[in-house]
Amino acid sequence: MKRSNEPITWLPFGAGGMLSALIAPVLVLVTGLLVPLGVLPRNFMSYPRMLAFAQNPLGKLLLLAVISLFLLHGCHRLVTTLHDYGLKAGHAPMALFFGAAVLASLFALVLLLRIGF
Amino acid sequence: MGRHQPVAKTYHPPRQVDWGKSVTRRRYMKRELTSVFLIAYALVLLFGLWRLSQGEAAFEAWRATLSHPLAIFGHGLIFVAALYHTRSWFEVMPRTLPDSAMNPASITRAGWTAAAIASLLVLTFVVVGGV
Repeated sequence: MKRSNEPITWLPFGAGGMLSALIAPVLVLVTGLLVPLGVLPRNFMSYPRMLAFAQNPLGKLLLLAVISLFLLHGCHRLVTTLHDYGLKAGHAPMALFFGAAVLASLFALVLLLRIGF
Repeated sequence: MGRHQPVAKTYHPPRQVDWGKSVTRRRYMKRELTSVFLIAYALVLLFGLWRLSQGEAAFEAWRATLSHPLAIFGHGLIFVAALYHTRSWFEVMPRTLPDSAMNPASITRAGWTAAAIASLLVLTFVVVGGV
């Protein structure tokens, strides 16, 4: 039997789906609504604080996990849905979307390394 | 038509796409649509990280755009979609665990409880770390 490449894309899909189900609402609430609206003090996301967060190894890991897993999950789901709605083009759409998500994740990794420790 | 009539009819899957006639289909569409909003949010964060790496002026400019009414509106939509994702992810979860000894409703409730606890932890971390 030919080995399936499904687990390679399915695992990040599941991990990203789980991580976002657990914390996406609260993250969006804080970074997109409460802080910009001034409900939480605006200096919560000031440059020195966010820089310190991105320089901390745990902070780096969290940022990378959120950005890459949300993207990998979202792109996987988007492609399977498009397939379901009639986009039949073999492995190309998955390779394209998933590849873009992988590239964006690598970009995040490079940025985190460039920000330093 | 010739004299050779087809004996067995070959199965052809229905060609027509259901764009939302049934309730389950509409639920499926909403569930799948959350992926677009999660991608959008990840891209917002990625862009912010890029601006952070460019220094204070660039980062503060990115932060200022977050307060724009359109950005607030967009994040409002993303928030609703993210909540719907949390709800539906754990509603579907029992179906991905057919051999589980737990009953389906308990799996879903356990998932929602875990999400509530995780959210409270994040909020506590933000507030305690921020003060």
